[in-house]
Amino acid sequence: MNAARTAGRWLSGPIPVSVVLALLIGACFMIIAGVDPVSGYVAMVQGSFGTGSGLANTLARAVPIIGIGIAIAIAFRAGVLNLGTEGQAGLGALTGGIVAVYMPGPAILVVPLALIVAIATGAAWGLISALLQNLLGVPILLSTLLLNYPARYFSSWLIRFQLNDPSTDLVATQQLRPEVQLGMLVPKDAAFADTLRSTFGPTSPITAVLTGVNWSIVVLIIVIAGAVFVNRRTRFGFESGLSGQNAEFVRYGGVKPGPLVTRTMALSGGLAGLFGVMLIIGAPSTRLIEGYFVQTNYAFTALLVTLLALYRPIGTAIAGLFFAAIMVGSDAMGRELGLSPQIAAVIQALVIVLLAFRVALPRFRRRGAGGAGGADADAEASTSDPVGGPPLSEQTLAEPHAPVPGAPQAAPTATGAETKESDR
Amino acid sequence: MNFLELFDQDLIGSVLRSLIPILLAALGGMIAERAGIFNIGLEGMILVGAFAGVAASFFTHSWLLGVIVAMIAGALFSLILGYGAVYRKGDPIVLAVAMNILAVGMTSFLLVAIFNVQGVFQDPGIVGIPVWRIPILADIPWIGELFALTPLGYLALLLVPALWIVLFRTPLGLRLRGVGERPLAAATMGVDPQRYQLGAVIVSGALAGLGGAQLALGNVVQFTENMSAGRGWIAVVAVMLARAHPVGVLGAALLFGFADAIGFRLQSFGLPQQLTDAGPYVVTLIVLVLLSKRFRKTREAALA
Repeated sequence: MNAARTAGRWLSGPIPVSVVLALLIGACFMIIAGVDPVSGYVAMVQGSFGTGSGLANTLARAVPIIGIGIAIAIAFRAGVLNLGTEGQAGLGALTGGIVAVYMPGPAILVVPLALIVAIATGAAWGLISALLQNLLGVPILLSTLLLNYPARYFSSWLIRFQLNDPSTDLVATQQLRPEVQLGMLVPKDAAFADTLRSTFGPTSPITAVLTGVNWSIVVLIIVIAGAVFVNRRTRFGFESGLSGQNAEFVRYGGVKPGPLVTRTMALSGGLAGLFGVMLIIGAPSTRLIEGYFVQTNYAFTALLVTLLALYRPIGTAIAGLFFAAIMVGSDAMGRELGLSPQIAAVIQALVIVLLAFRVALPRFRRRGAGGAGGADADAEASTSDPVGGPPLSEQTLAEPHAPVPGAPQAAPTATGAETKESDR
Repeated sequence: MNFLELFDQDLIGSVLRSLIPILLAALGGMIAERAGIFNIGLEGMILVGAFAGVAASFFTHSWLLGVIVAMIAGALFSLILGYGAVYRKGDPIVLAVAMNILAVGMTSFLLVAIFNVQGVFQDPGIVGIPVWRIPILADIPWIGELFALTPLGYLALLLVPALWIVLFRTPLGLRLRGVGERPLAAATMGVDPQRYQLGAVIVSGALAGLGGAQLALGNVVQFTENMSAGRGWIAVVAVMLARAHPVGVLGAALLFGFADAIGFRLQSFGLPQQLTDAGPYVVTLIVLVLLSKRFRKTREAALA
C-alpha cells in the first residue's frame, strides 16, 4: 500500500512526466515528417528491445554513454562543470588506439598499455582546464568546452593525413590485430556460443547479448561500483559531494578547492579517455575512423544522461540504458520509415528541458488533512530540485563577468527563487 | 610563401564576414547577461535561426522574409531558456546545454523531414541576402569593405553604438542593468525583474537568430547540419571577455573574426583545413588566458 503510494507519487513526479511529455512532443515531430507516431514508436521499441540483436545493440551503445556519463557525474557532483568529455574521450581514443594499432608485442601487454595511455591522455587534457582555472581563473565550463574543438580537429587531421590506410575507402587507420581487440563476452566461434545457441536458440536475447556485447561492459560495471563506493565511503567522495552543493562550506571545513578541482578533472578526464578507447578497440570496431567519435555524439548524450540522473552512478546507468535505447530505436525507426535518427537527440534534450521546467502532475491533496499538503510540497521540493538546484550554482559562473566589479551577481537567482518557490 | 600576402584588402572583407554572425549573437548574449541571465544557448539559437531563415527563404523566395522568420524563430526558441530560467527557476546552464543539443537534433531532423536531404541543403530557390554597396564609399580602398555589407552587417555594426546608448543612456537600459545587478532594488523601484529578464532573453534569441540568418543566407546560401560549429560558444566567450560591454564585445568579435579569416587564408597556402579550423578556438583560449585577470573574480568565487 505504502509502496504503491510511493510509486504513484514518483510516477506523477518530474522524471516520468518529463519523459512522457517529451515522447508526445517527439510524436509531433513525427507527424510533421508525415509518419504515424504510433508506428514510429513501435518501430523504436522493436528496434531497441524487441529483438535479441536490438537489445545487444542497446547495451553496447549504453556502455560508452554510461561510462562517459559517470565521468561527467563525478565532475558535476563536485561542482566542476566538465563539458569537455568529447575532447578527453576522443583524444584518449586516439592515443590508446594508436598504441593498440601500431605497437607490436603480445596482447597482454599492448591492451593494458593502450588503456593506460588513453586514461593518461584523457586525464591530461582534463588537467589543462583544471590548471587554467586554479592558476588563472579561466572558468572550467568554457575551457573544457573550447578544448573539444582542437582535440576534434587534431584527431581528424592526424588520421586523415598521417595514419590513413589507403587500402580502404574509409578515412581510417589500418586494422587492429584481432588479439588486441576487446572481444565479445562469448566469442561467436567459441564452443560455449554453440551451447548457448542450442539451449536458448540463435536469436534469443541471452545468446544475442552474450555474443554481441564486448568486455567493456564488465569494465563499466566495475567503474559504476567504484563510483558508488567512492561517493559513499571515501573522503574524496564526501568532500566532492559537499563541494558541489556548497563550496563555501567545504572551504570552511578545511578542504582546499584547488586540489579538489585538479583531482576531479584528472579522474573525470581519465574515465572519459578509458571509455573512449574501449570504443575503438572493442569489438566490432577494429580501427580508428576519422570523425567516428564526434559523429556518434556519445559525449553530449552522456551529458544529458548525467543531468537526468542527477549525478548518481546507478541513476546514470539506468538513464544511460534508456537514452541508448532511444538512440538505437531511432536508428531502427529511421531506417524503416526514412526519418532522421536525430529524433533521438530531440527527445533526449526535451526530457532535460522539461525536467528543468519541473513539470509534474498536480498533487491531489488528501481530504481534510491541511498539513499533509505542506508535507507533500516539501517532499517534492527535495526530490525535484537538483536539476535546478545547487550543484550548478550560478555563483561560480555569474560572478566573474559581473558588469560592475564586485557587484553581487548571485542575487537575481536568490531573490527570484524566494518569490517563486511558493507557486508549486 | 610570403606571409604578407595574407594581409590584403580581401582579408578585411572576410574578417567582416566571419565577424558579423558572432557579433550579432554576442550582442544578444550581452543583453541577457546585463539582465542577469547567463545565456550559453546562443549556439542553438544561431542554428535554429539559420535553419528557419533558409527554410523561409526557400518557400517564399524572399530574403527579407527569411531574415524575419529567422529572427522570430530565434526568439521563440529562446523562450525555452527565458520561461525555464525566469519563471520556472530552472538552471540556465542545464537548460541551455539541452537547448543546444535540441537545436542540432531538431534542425537535422527537419532537414530530412521537410527537404528530404541529409547533411547539406542547397537549392537555387533559396534567395540569399544581397550585399548593399554604398556608392563611392565602397570604392575607397581598404575601408571600402565596410560599405559593402549585407543589411544585417550594417545592422550589427550599428547596433554596437545603439545598444551602448540604450544600455547607458536610457531609462530602459538603466532598468535592465538594475534588474541584472540588484533585482531587489529594481523591484522596489517598481520594475518587474522577471519581465525584463524574459524580454532580454527573447531579444538575445532574436539577435542570435539574425546571426544565424547572416551565416546561412549571407556568408553562404545553404544550410548545413550543425553549421553554427561553435560560433555561439565563441560569442559566449566574447560576452565574458568584454564584461558585457558593447564596445568590448565588438573588439572580441573582431579578434575571432580575424582568427577565422586568417585560418581560411592559410588554407590557400596549403595548410590542412583541419588545423586552421581549430584556429578560432585556440585563439579564444589564448585570449582567455591572457586576459585572465578579468577572471580573478571567478577564481575567488571558485575557491570560495
